[in-house]
Amino acid sequence: MKIRRDVYQAIADPTRRAIINMVASEPHNVNAIAEKFDITRQAISLHIQILIDCGLLAVKKQGRDRLCEARLDRLGEVSIWVDQYKQHFEKKLDTLETYLEKIKNERNGKHTK
Amino acid sequence: MENTQSNTEDRELLISRTLNAPVELVWEMWTTPEHIANWWGPNGFTNTITKMDIKAGGEWDLVMHGPDGTDYKNKSVFKEVVLHKKIVYEHVSHPSFISTIEFEAQGEKTEIKWHMLFETAEQFIQVVKTFKADVGLRQNMEKLEAYLANRAVK
Repeated sequence: MKIRRDVYQAIADPTRRAIINMVASEPHNVNAIAEKFDITRQAISLHIQILIDCGLLAVKKQGRDRLCEARLDRLGEVSIWVDQYKQHFEKKLDTLETYLEKIKNERNGKHTK
Repeated sequence: MENTQSNTEDRELLISRTLNAPVELVWEMWTTPEHIANWWGPNGFTNTITKMDIKAGGEWDLVMHGPDGTDYKNKSVFKEVVLHKKIVYEHVSHPSFISTIEFEAQGEKTEIKWHMLFETAEQFIQVVKTFKADVGLRQNMEKLEAYLANRAVK
């Protein structure tokens, strides 16, 4: 089974969101990230790997350190889709607006008859 | 650690609109099953409301019938109902969210604020992602909307 990796999967987990927040301000090495969380080093490595696969994180080797840097451009993708989702509710209100006009006309029509 | 309880930014939506109708009429459109069935749900869908007990604790059962014949059941429970002011309901079918609609009378117009709060950021992301997958459907909806707008003019 092929596992799909996309930006949504990246941010669908609180630990991964916390890692993104950490490295967004400045690059951190993998050990420093692991120390901040109360979960196993292996679990952190897996989260980091998912973030890399999803294109939100890049790892650079610097001497013995492995530095994680944020690649935040792809997060824009999410806000675009959130906006689209919002549009869906805006459309509901569009329909309500049209319907209100129809009802108002119908009722005014009755009055004038 | 961040306070996940009070931070709702990553799991909410807020839209507002000033509608060209007095609050009594807008309220009637929101709270009368035969009216809400005429505008609720994505364009191209029809709706059947089997229950709408609009009071705190009252249930609201709405089935949206998709253009392809798929039925989408929506069960909600009203949390708070303040005449001409506010409706709060919890959507208990998946996805779980709390919807708050506030009405503000402005003479012959009404401003409504519609807020949706999902339980978790994960659920919200899931919903948005599912919606993304449905974008083809959305384009169909737009076509239908144009069709309906033309019909309304007649």
